[in-house]
Amino acid sequence: MRKEYTEYPFDWALHSLFSNAAKAINGTPKEYDRIMSRIGDMKDLADFVFGHGDPGALFMKGFSQYTEAITTAHAKGRKLAFTTFCQSPAIFWAMDIVPIVLEPMTVLGNLVRKGGTAEFMDFCVEAGFTETSCSSQRGALGAYLKGLAEKPDFVAIDTGGICDTNANSFTFAASYLDIPFYQINYPPTLTDQRAADYHRADYRNFIKFLEEQTGNKLDEDKLRAVMQEIEVQDDLICEIQELQRLRPNPVPVIFNLFIYALRFTMAGMEPCTTMLRACLEAAKKNAAKGVSGLSSQDEKTRALFVYIDHYATNIPLWTFMDEMGIAHLGCILTKYYQDKVFYSNGDGYHLDTADLDSMIDTLAEQNSRLPMVKQIRGPYDAPDMWLEEAMYLKDSMNADFAVYSGTPGCRNTWGMLKLLAKKLEDAGLPTLVINADAFDERVESWEATRHRFEEFLELRRLI
Amino acid sequence: MNPIFEEAADHVDNQVIREWKAQGKKVIGHTCSHVPEEIISAAGMMPYRLRGIESESTSIGDTYFGPFICSCPKAILQKAGEGAFNFLDGAVMVQSCDSMRRLDECWRAANDDYPGILPGFWHYLGVPHKAVDYSLKWFSEEIEMFKKHIEEHFNVTITEENLRKSITLYNETRDLLKELDEVRGMENTPVSGQEAMNIILAGTAMPKEVYNPLLREALDELKARPAHHGGKKRILLGGSVVDDQSLISVIEAEGAVVVADTVCFGSRSFEGMVPEDSPTMLTIAGRYLHHQFCPRMFGHYKDRMALIKQKMELAKVDGVILQNIRFCDLHGSENGLFEAELESMGVPAIRLEREYGAMADEGRLRMRIGAFLESIPERRTEKPAA
Repeated sequence: MRKEYTEYPFDWALHSLFSNAAKAINGTPKEYDRIMSRIGDMKDLADFVFGHGDPGALFMKGFSQYTEAITTAHAKGRKLAFTTFCQSPAIFWAMDIVPIVLEPMTVLGNLVRKGGTAEFMDFCVEAGFTETSCSSQRGALGAYLKGLAEKPDFVAIDTGGICDTNANSFTFAASYLDIPFYQINYPPTLTDQRAADYHRADYRNFIKFLEEQTGNKLDEDKLRAVMQEIEVQDDLICEIQELQRLRPNPVPVIFNLFIYALRFTMAGMEPCTTMLRACLEAAKKNAAKGVSGLSSQDEKTRALFVYIDHYATNIPLWTFMDEMGIAHLGCILTKYYQDKVFYSNGDGYHLDTADLDSMIDTLAEQNSRLPMVKQIRGPYDAPDMWLEEAMYLKDSMNADFAVYSGTPGCRNTWGMLKLLAKKLEDAGLPTLVINADAFDERVESWEATRHRFEEFLELRRLI
Repeated sequence: MNPIFEEAADHVDNQVIREWKAQGKKVIGHTCSHVPEEIISAAGMMPYRLRGIESESTSIGDTYFGPFICSCPKAILQKAGEGAFNFLDGAVMVQSCDSMRRLDECWRAANDDYPGILPGFWHYLGVPHKAVDYSLKWFSEEIEMFKKHIEEHFNVTITEENLRKSITLYNETRDLLKELDEVRGMENTPVSGQEAMNIILAGTAMPKEVYNPLLREALDELKARPAHHGGKKRILLGGSVVDDQSLISVIEAEGAVVVADTVCFGSRSFEGMVPEDSPTMLTIAGRYLHHQFCPRMFGHYKDRMALIKQKMELAKVDGVILQNIRFCDLHGSENGLFEAELESMGVPAIRLEREYGAMADEGRLRMRIGAFLESIPERRTEKPAA
């Protein structure tokens, strides 16, 4: 690993960048420019994010607070848990545990560091991990394996039965770092009683594990407070997603990233609520004016991402979409299946904060419907799974085309993607399959990806 | 040695299957060592572990699977698309791993383009990734549903007596295969790794009531054989699926003998017994779910390392070859941990990543294996047999 990568702790460096950027927006233009000259790698990102007003500023501030919580956890006597994006962090916050959510950490590293997290990815391979594993974990994980960040105290994930490469990254980390490991494991079905019973039993076991790790019992009042905050966040997200259905879509493209990035890390925490509220206000203003959320206010076409986005340095996917007049209709990462959201079809979760039992049961239900956990646990064409969701969203969101962006490490989706793409095409939805790695530009440069994207738009006469 | 072992190991179809089918009996294919074959056998049918051997391309597999997928399920789909599995009356799909679980959808989709390749009985078995009370309950219910599906589809009854007999039969197979393991782990072993693997693989492609007597005969023959693999480097082969003899033949052609393994299809498949007294779906589930030798059972690295150490000790190995099919991150990553730990113990170990099947990369593997064997210190070289 090159020396410059080892000079500062990875988590501290991210915190330093985000906290400085978050402060910069409060300064004079001259102060802003001065600070940005010191954190040059994230200037374009900061300009674009801050260009969206309060939501952008709150996004930066949110990550500043999140990374601060990570870097100061041990000093404050809190435990650090390695976890994954598709596990609700709410339970960790309720138990005063700070979740290190690996994938957003990789994304942050990619967005603001020159060269992204490539060297950390390579260190994973040096440590014995396969190069074909998912880069979404490998990026940040390499820093932790190398000892360039606060060491987590245990691993607690929920991708057993959902995504092998994800669960495997964490089980590898637990063995390598010699720390305790817990996996929530999901059956291949979602809505039947057997699955519900399984979810609940496993979630209770999971809480027992967390109690063992912290030495503290789960506090009912703290949990209720976090869950009530989630309910507020859910309402805000549902409203934003309802607005995304409008033509033109009044929600700016970057809000998609804002929503899931903070939701994955700070669900149930106030900074996430504040940012979501600002996002909704901004989108509502656009809707009231009947304009698109794009900078040009001119929506040319509407893209439904059926998996994830693309996280190269300086968020080029979002700036590209904004420039091209492509409205972002969301991706799998913004689908949480609250009972009140339009796509839940009666199968969504409902948080019940009446007592401890009902809270745990409904948290289990919520967790079982989080991105990826819901859609790819069973055969892609089974009820409640990937195809059903994509088909429903195609119509309900008035999508003009679909995009698959993912990573070569995603065995699960690549095993059924061709079938999904064919079904979508058969149903009249042009579908672009991006062969790049959303987290590792060395696989295919963003410029090459952009070229293919443009070619697709032109050939299919979408723009 | 009975030539049926080699025939069954090397070919998708074999004489025993043909005779079985000629009697009007059914064959049910499946993809994972977590499938409780006892249920199929108790229905009077033959369980058959699917392999993609003899594939000369993956053109059909590549049509449905994406590019970043293990070549093993692709090769199985290839054979299915070519009609090689048309003798199957049914198939069981399992979410063994993410590549293998998608064989379900890809095979069904391929049936649209190659009509008739999908067996009439098609079952998806949900196997949990952990062994705790509620996952055992789930899995026992899955097995019960599987049993009922067989009974309804084929209009048969799986009686308790037949189930008990089937369990006894399977436990006998496991006992006999363990004996084989002991024989091949002997000093100056009388059996090559290749021959041992053929015997083991044959058991996945014939009914146990036919296989067990053949296996007993083979064991008697081996025990009576003069020792003849002395003086060679003794290797444990670990990692993902090895379901033909080609890789072992390369290792042994370089002057080693494979005396132990922990591979899928190999020795790890016959670890653990189903209790024979008052069998229930729960006791069957217990054997299969506590069978945590595949890294799909997350969080059991130490147990799997313990199995390697135990086998190393029993077979007094000189080195360990850890292999995985490309894109098998589960085995590939765990092999990285094994390699580091073994090397720290002073045990020479190597990791190999390869493609499944017809040894397209034989030259590269031969060179790496040869170099590895050369590098093993001469710390435990046996004297040749007298």
